[in-house]
Amino acid sequence: MSAPASPLFADRRAIGLLLALLALLLALPALVNSYILSVAILILYFAYTGQAWNVMMGFCGQLSLGHSLYVGVGAYTVAALFVHYQISPWVGVWLAVVICTLMGLVIGFLAFRFGIGGTYFALLTIAFAEFTRIGFDHFDWVGSSGGFFLKVESHGTLDLLNLRGSPTMFYYLALAMCAAAFVFCAWLLKSRAGYYWQAIRENEEAAQALGINTFRWKMLAVGISSAMTSLAGVFFAFYYNNLFPEQIFNISRSIEIILGPIIGGIGTLFGPILGAAVLTILADGITELVAAMGLEIPGVKQVFYGVVLLLVVMFLPHGIWPTLARKLGLGQGSGK
Amino acid sequence: MDRRQFNKTLAAAGTLASLSPFGIVRAQGAKLKVGVLLPRSGTQAFIGQSCQFGADIAPAVIKQMMGVDIELMNADTETNVDTARSRAERLISEGAQVLVGPFDSGAAGAIAQVAEQKGVPFVINIAAAPQITEQGYKYTFRNFPTAVDLVRNGLALIGDLFQATSTVPRTAVFMHVNDTFGQAMAKGVGGLMPRLTQLPFKIVDTISYDPAAKDLTVEVAKAKATGADFLLLVCRLNDAIILRREMVKQRWNPMGIIGPGNPGMYENQFYSALGKLSEHCISNVPWYNPKAELTKLIEAQMIKQFPKEKLMFHALNVGFTFESIMIAADAYKRARTSNSKELTEAIRQTDIKNRMMIGGPIKFNAKGQVEGIGSAAIQNLNQRPTVVLPVAAAEAKPVFPVPGYVKKS
Repeated sequence: MSAPASPLFADRRAIGLLLALLALLLALPALVNSYILSVAILILYFAYTGQAWNVMMGFCGQLSLGHSLYVGVGAYTVAALFVHYQISPWVGVWLAVVICTLMGLVIGFLAFRFGIGGTYFALLTIAFAEFTRIGFDHFDWVGSSGGFFLKVESHGTLDLLNLRGSPTMFYYLALAMCAAAFVFCAWLLKSRAGYYWQAIRENEEAAQALGINTFRWKMLAVGISSAMTSLAGVFFAFYYNNLFPEQIFNISRSIEIILGPIIGGIGTLFGPILGAAVLTILADGITELVAAMGLEIPGVKQVFYGVVLLLVVMFLPHGIWPTLARKLGLGQGSGK
Repeated sequence: MDRRQFNKTLAAAGTLASLSPFGIVRAQGAKLKVGVLLPRSGTQAFIGQSCQFGADIAPAVIKQMMGVDIELMNADTETNVDTARSRAERLISEGAQVLVGPFDSGAAGAIAQVAEQKGVPFVINIAAAPQITEQGYKYTFRNFPTAVDLVRNGLALIGDLFQATSTVPRTAVFMHVNDTFGQAMAKGVGGLMPRLTQLPFKIVDTISYDPAAKDLTVEVAKAKATGADFLLLVCRLNDAIILRREMVKQRWNPMGIIGPGNPGMYENQFYSALGKLSEHCISNVPWYNPKAELTKLIEAQMIKQFPKEKLMFHALNVGFTFESIMIAADAYKRARTSNSKELTEAIRQTDIKNRMMIGGPIKFNAKGQVEGIGSAAIQNLNQRPTVVLPVAAAEAKPVFPVPGYVKKS
């Protein structure tokens, strides 16, 4: 299902392209209007969460369908600390990371210790996300089902310490998170953990036979993935300023997270970014196109998602990026 | 150009110059661009599309009432907070001068931020989370009661119902669907009941049930066993149908079924699925005044534009969506400009007495929250929702206890 790994940044051309893309992204707020900027923020957000999910599924082969759990818990933790105790999100984020990592490890322990794998593991992740949602529905300290709101500052504010500011500030924050996740994942793939994960992903029994402690390395993947995803929650809380358990823990949010990597290429570094960009731009483009034709077809985007997913699964089972990378002469490695 | 032509031109220019400080020329020449954000796809699609009827009929009715031209710019929020935010950005970048929508508190919160950042007024049609208007927003207004007001109004109407029918039920069993909405309503009922001392009844048991339940045999049996005088029910559509059928099956005939502020029992599908069994259920919800002139105007327009649809089955959605656009149009007419600051200030000064929904005039408090929206007791009579209270808006007298009720010894 996934493409094999290859040395990181071995190709100068790839580095050149990456730097050009980074330069373009850095200049973007000066070039586009606020609507396109908001779409760009969405792309970066989904690219980041996709990258975080990719560590678990793409690198290590453990399918999670409940990553909204970490987004939600991360978001609520930091938002609650900020609202109730005026603790800066830069401080609160550490607690969010710790809590989400622990939650990930508990799920991982329950599954891996008792030999739950594949679809049963996926069901377990959904179950945890669901009962956490129900728990938050009754958690009065964070507004329960009525929602939890962060105070919104006037639009001229730029307070990086408390993450209060304009969409441009959030754009650069999302870009920084995305770039950091990319570099971190590239490093992970080249590390010993990366090789062990890929061995586990391809054939767990064989990896075990070679002496790899699969339990330990799978737990590491779950821990890192959940910790990374919790940061997306922090971003979500301060960007949207309101949290509802029904929305943030919903399984549809988990599906949104995984669509990017699936379309872009599971197990690749650039797949989640490409997938998020393709899905968001094309979906919005379809909506625009339909509107420009004078038609109003509610739900056209969802139909489009379904069709794209179907086509990719049928014709590009490894995702778009491995094929595109080959065509661009960048090799097909996950390091690119 | 001769002297006469010159004088005519000068007179015309003078007239224009004298009018322009008041913005008369600026406003009358142009249309007010209203960005309508509704969840027309996704899990709330059914309600979003229902609200859209209210938006679609608004330009014609408002033109007729106020002489204001409205241009609708529709956007689908897809029942998704991310999409709601980016669609709001898009509408503003395309020239929307006021935003309306979005039937969801989460989406409303996201759109409100965009409205604040861009300085564009935003009139919420339906969203009940109280915190939305507690955020200190300057450009956000809500023409809908908060969740607390919704339950308070619903419970208060129960007292009015007993008074109007000269009945004194002593006990109720409270059943509610166990989802976000049901939990919030249950919390509201639990919090308000001890304070509403004028209500003569006590809740003898609270029974929650799964929103996806296909069988409510046990829950209904349990409720019946309490021997309560009536059923206080917070439901949605599907579970309401299952529950009502189960009550008939178990031959449980309490004095009545009353919803304190929830949908389900006044919807078209409830009637078509249950037929005569749908009769006499009561829902205390915000509703249109069937006797208001504006309602008649809107109903006529609805028949004209959507002959297959009936206003009574879209009452709340159409009513509040229409009113939110009317608020924008009224402000535009008074401000005589689409300048966002002046338009916002004009919305703040709104005082509309000729309205469609039951309640006092549309007026916003300092936080942008409308005050004085009432609820109506809607009873299913002859398989259609009928206003039975308040008396001023009533189309029929309430029937309580319902026929078939047998008082226990």
